[in-house]
Amino acid sequence: MKPTENVLEIRNLVKDFPGVRAVDDVSFDIKRNTVHCLVGENGAGKSTLIKILTGVYERTSGQILLNGEEHDPQNPRDAKQKGISTLFQELNVVDQLTVEENLSLGVEETTFGFLRRTDKTNQMVSVMNSIEPSIKPGQLVSTLSVAKKQIVEIARAVAAESNIIIMDEPTAAISESEIARLFTIIRSLRENNVTVIYISHRLDEIFEIGDNVTVMRDGGHIATKPVAEIEDRSELIRMMIGKTVFEHYMPRDDISPDLILQVKNLSNHRLNDISFDVKAGEVVGFYGLVGAGKTELARAIFGADHCDGEILFKGEKLRANPEKSIAAGIALVPEERRTQGLFTILTIRGNVPVMNMSKISRSGFINAAKERTVAQEYVEKLNIATNSIEKEAAKLSGGNQQKVVLSKCLFADADLLMLDEPTRGIDVGAKSEIYSLIRQLSNEGKTIIIFSSELPEIMNICDSIHLLYDGSLKSTLRNGLDVDSEYILHVVTGGD
Amino acid sequence: MNGVKKQSFQFQLGRSDALRSSIKQVYIYVVLVLIVFVFSVMKLDQVEMFGRGHFLSPDSVINLLRSAVPILTLSGAFTLLMISGYIDLSVGSAMSLSAVVYALMILNGFSFWPALLITLILGVIMGSVNAYLVMNLRITPVIATLVTLSLFKGIALLIVPDGLSAIKGSPDKAMPGWINDYARKEVLFGLPAAFWVAVLVIVAMVIIQRKTILGKYAAAIGGNRIAADLSGISAVKIVWILYILVGLFAAMAGMARASYMSLGDPLSGDGMELDCIIAVLLGGTAFSGGEGSVAKTVIGSLIIICVTIGLMTVIPAYWQVAAKGSVLLIAVVLNHLLVRDTASA
Repeated sequence: MKPTENVLEIRNLVKDFPGVRAVDDVSFDIKRNTVHCLVGENGAGKSTLIKILTGVYERTSGQILLNGEEHDPQNPRDAKQKGISTLFQELNVVDQLTVEENLSLGVEETTFGFLRRTDKTNQMVSVMNSIEPSIKPGQLVSTLSVAKKQIVEIARAVAAESNIIIMDEPTAAISESEIARLFTIIRSLRENNVTVIYISHRLDEIFEIGDNVTVMRDGGHIATKPVAEIEDRSELIRMMIGKTVFEHYMPRDDISPDLILQVKNLSNHRLNDISFDVKAGEVVGFYGLVGAGKTELARAIFGADHCDGEILFKGEKLRANPEKSIAAGIALVPEERRTQGLFTILTIRGNVPVMNMSKISRSGFINAAKERTVAQEYVEKLNIATNSIEKEAAKLSGGNQQKVVLSKCLFADADLLMLDEPTRGIDVGAKSEIYSLIRQLSNEGKTIIIFSSELPEIMNICDSIHLLYDGSLKSTLRNGLDVDSEYILHVVTGGD
Repeated sequence: MNGVKKQSFQFQLGRSDALRSSIKQVYIYVVLVLIVFVFSVMKLDQVEMFGRGHFLSPDSVINLLRSAVPILTLSGAFTLLMISGYIDLSVGSAMSLSAVVYALMILNGFSFWPALLITLILGVIMGSVNAYLVMNLRITPVIATLVTLSLFKGIALLIVPDGLSAIKGSPDKAMPGWINDYARKEVLFGLPAAFWVAVLVIVAMVIIQRKTILGKYAAAIGGNRIAADLSGISAVKIVWILYILVGLFAAMAGMARASYMSLGDPLSGDGMELDCIIAVLLGGTAFSGGEGSVAKTVIGSLIIICVTIGLMTVIPAYWQVAAKGSVLLIAVVLNHLLVRDTASA
């Protein structure tokens, strides 16, 4: 079989989730033996695309040709057998085993149940050696650095004769010198008949290592072109964000000068000396890409994670404990509504009052009538689409689930509401409802902090914008018509 | 990974899901009725069965309900603990130790109320030990309570003097006759105080589960621990309370058992943890926690007692344990098949 010029051809690929089209009619080619970069904001559809390629998700429609043949993997293992290996951010190695055992994991051969050292193992070890001689086969993987664990995974992919290796943010957790080493390896992979699909938010890396780049936005395909033809970072950024519409934002001058929250020198394993103030009644946005530390910051303020530094709320020091934070008047809408925010097996009635049970109970006994009234009130107030408050939260759509989580936090009577990715994965209608709710709450005097990786969201509703990169607060802006979205993208992708 | 594909497949099964979930609602009652029916129609002429020869004769029913006292007393609190996603394997040993301590006090001249009070305090202490190991030292519940299972039982065996199998009356020191009043003396409808106390406990537990913050928080913690933490629910506090309740009612069950037998047997609670777990699972509570029903655990408990007592009368002693195991195995497998598919949809 004569190898085709394109190792992968994607044609009109579509993936629908309930209420959301995550990949919208995407078509592009990936040339054989190149480093093909995939960029886009969070939610642009990159991960969904990768998950379809590797058999995690089933496509809704469209076609994928691998080496000119239809590619429809049933599961990740199937995809691997067809030559597509993936290096996830969460590395897939077993710490307690040696390098050699990890390499042969899943392909061991045995005699009478005893492990046998085979040519295959030897070959894997020699592949490993040629890539990185400093890693010894007998070494325990737990003693290796993250970068070296990555190399073990790469060796495993190479030994499995993968001709496509997908790398998802491989440089997120490794040092500068290790990045240089990784790039050398990627280049030698390219010379040895391997195509690398490289996903990164660090745009400088695209220019350093990429041959071609595909830009995605809102599930759609924006462009695929050789990196050499792209002028600079800002051209790439423009393609990523498109035309950002933020005419909804009206600058406010009625914000009181009183500080409700003062954060001083907050640090922990993911945060780096963060200090800022929030005025009462303000809508504050934190913007940054995946791994910038938004969720970690929200959890640290809320007291869910340990941190050093000082947090003053209404002038008083916060105790690092969610229960105490809620009592003080802070509520958090967590990043993942299903796994962190919602009690999916409880009904709407069961969910709404859960953060403030004392309001609907007396000496430990729940007042069922009050509970129903409260749930009904919030269903109406937030326009939750359901035929009954007795519906299980699991059976609601994403947008309505998010409204239930919001109801929960609103019922907690918080003065400061922190929303982590408040509109992730929900449909446009519910999104705009949530935005107007946020404005309404702000007009009622509530203070709101939004942690988001969607720039339009931040620019539409926030009075001030903080930019995070790699756990540090890089810049703070007042929102207004003169705010430059390109500058923002520049900062959050690591630019100076 | 496969789950993603499987889920979309399951949406198409909506109708049979509804059927399955309605079967799940009623099947446990059917099982109970079926078991009672089978034992009722069984006839063995030469053996005097079930007191006066019939499983549903008044004497037989009273006997059955009296035997059900320990599991009824204990399984309500046990259900709440399992709803919160935790477990206590030491309940049987806690029961045994309480029985031994209670009998020892009675034998040595304590009157009813002080002995009862001290036994209950012992129960609270045992519950606290479990809670401390699990919640404060963060030891896996199964391991922690398996260790205390061994510990409590060990202490119970130590308390019983050498050469004796239980704390009981001897020629020079007789057990007071009133010791078994609590568990045998008729109070109402031919049933003793211990039974009515168990009924009160069950009612209280049903109310706690359905009407109080404690019950709601237990379901929240078992249903989604992360969300519970972020909602300001103190899982440590709630689960502590539940372990103490379980310890308290294990002590109460042990004291009832000691009264019934007029002695303190250090092995009297053996196997109670298994009976409780099966009663709870039959009642539809998920092993992983989150949802469940104390009321249905009562039905599960009755099934276990019917099977135990029923088989005791119709099957030779050597076969009883294996036969009970087989019947319960069938029930548990059925339960699993029904619960699994509705829970994952």
